[in-house]
Amino acid sequence: MNAPNRHELFVLDDGEKGVEVIEDTKIPNAATFKIIKQDHTLGNMLRSQLLAMPSILFAGYKVPHPLEPYFILKIQTDGSITPTEALEQAGNALLKLISDLQAKFKAEFAYKDVEGVDGVAEDPYGALPSNMTTSAWGSSTRFYADYS
Amino acid sequence: MPGEATVRIRELKKDRVNFVLENVDLAGGTSFANSLRRVVMADVPTVAIDMVEIESNTTVLPDEFIAHRLGMIPLISTSCDEGIRYPRECNCTSHCQYCSVELQLNITCTDDTTIDVTSNHLDVYTGEQTDAGDDGDEPSKRGEGFGMPVGKNDPSVPPVLLCKIRKGQELKLKCIARKGIAKEHAKWSPCSAVAFEYDPHNKLRHTSHWFEQDERAEWPLSENAIEEDAPREDEPFDFLAKPERFYMTVETVGSLKPRDVIFKGFEELQTKLANLIHGLKSTTEIETNGRMTGHVVPIAQTGWGQGPTTMNGTGGGGGWESPGAAGWSV
Ligand SMILES: [Zn+2]
Repeated sequence: MNAPNRHELFVLDDGEKGVEVIEDTKIPNAATFKIIKQDHTLGNMLRSQLLAMPSILFAGYKVPHPLEPYFILKIQTDGSITPTEALEQAGNALLKLISDLQAKFKAEFAYKDVEGVDGVAEDPYGALPSNMTTSAWGSSTRFYADYS
Repeated sequence: MPGEATVRIRELKKDRVNFVLENVDLAGGTSFANSLRRVVMADVPTVAIDMVEIESNTTVLPDEFIAHRLGMIPLISTSCDEGIRYPRECNCTSHCQYCSVELQLNITCTDDTTIDVTSNHLDVYTGEQTDAGDDGDEPSKRGEGFGMPVGKNDPSVPPVLLCKIRKGQELKLKCIARKGIAKEHAKWSPCSAVAFEYDPHNKLRHTSHWFEQDERAEWPLSENAIEEDAPREDEPFDFLAKPERFYMTVETVGSLKPRDVIFKGFEELQTKLANLIHGLKSTTEIETNGRMTGHVVPIAQTGWGQGPTTMNGTGGGGGWESPGAAGWSV
């Protein structure tokens, strides 16, 4: 009917820009970034990375309305770099952290074998602790409709 | 300088991985670990049944009930990146071999005993499909059993019960499975659960424990507590302390391996960041040009992200959803 496609919440339209920069006219070295089709996953991560940087005076983000798929990020710097540069640096620092972690995960996965032998049934509700004989769901095999 | 980030896998099973992230304080730790949690739950693509054509249903369950249950069945989704297109990226009219997997189910009960119709009765249909989008090599890149219900032909995995039918009842239908992410519908999530904890002793006081008489007795410690020293009785509160160790368990539904979920999650994070940086760069260029000519240039006039302008073009916007868009793939 007239419901919008659900992927419009996370895929940019043709020609739509992902980032808009609005420079602050009253506060020095401050800018507001409107980041479209992104949410807390990116916003929160960037905000805390920015706050960890020494040249940042202020960094904060919000998702103004849960049905509108964008967030705004406000940044003020001490003037040594522009807010745009700060945001770019934050993004690059996070990318570096991710590639670090990827390498670490790769090494760990290479070194770890999957536990549990194939073909042996695993209890889908998890093994019971040794001091428990029945599961929390009960041990009865009665069909649910047999209860009255 | 803070120590380097480390990863320690404590448990790796067929359907789950438990690990500890340490020294990720670079990004304020908590929020980075939380972004990883969000991204593995909601941004990693899989295939799931999205459309059901019911030819005959004389079971006790109504059509929509069965269609909903079919959607929830985890399907093998390895090689989702190369093996299948998003429906919005395909220019077929409804579905084709490049953007979908067809599954069929046909059960009639002629016995006196009730039959359990389960996910094991679904078969991937590999025959001809008439309607097709632009030629591609997606089907040849699919892994073994792509689109098949998880655990089919594996006696150690109990199947998903769809419906029970008695003598004289039948269920005959055709399903179209498509690629998607859990932001569109939770059935596309590769994870059934993601556990996330830090500071098991609550030394940072990020939460307060309500209790009747004895906080310690009423709030049993989690199993992660053995990884950290318990606070001394008279220890003063360290208000500068930051969380530095994060305990996570990623449990999958079986459509992807835990390993693949983690790496795809990282890739999605990289794509998000790379697109942001790319977007910032093109914005800066425009601003500079605008000042030089003394005009305010509307931001919308940049060439960024225009990509193919045809509707449903295979490029899909500015390649936003394609992983590794700016060469960040592993
Ligand atoms: Zn198609």
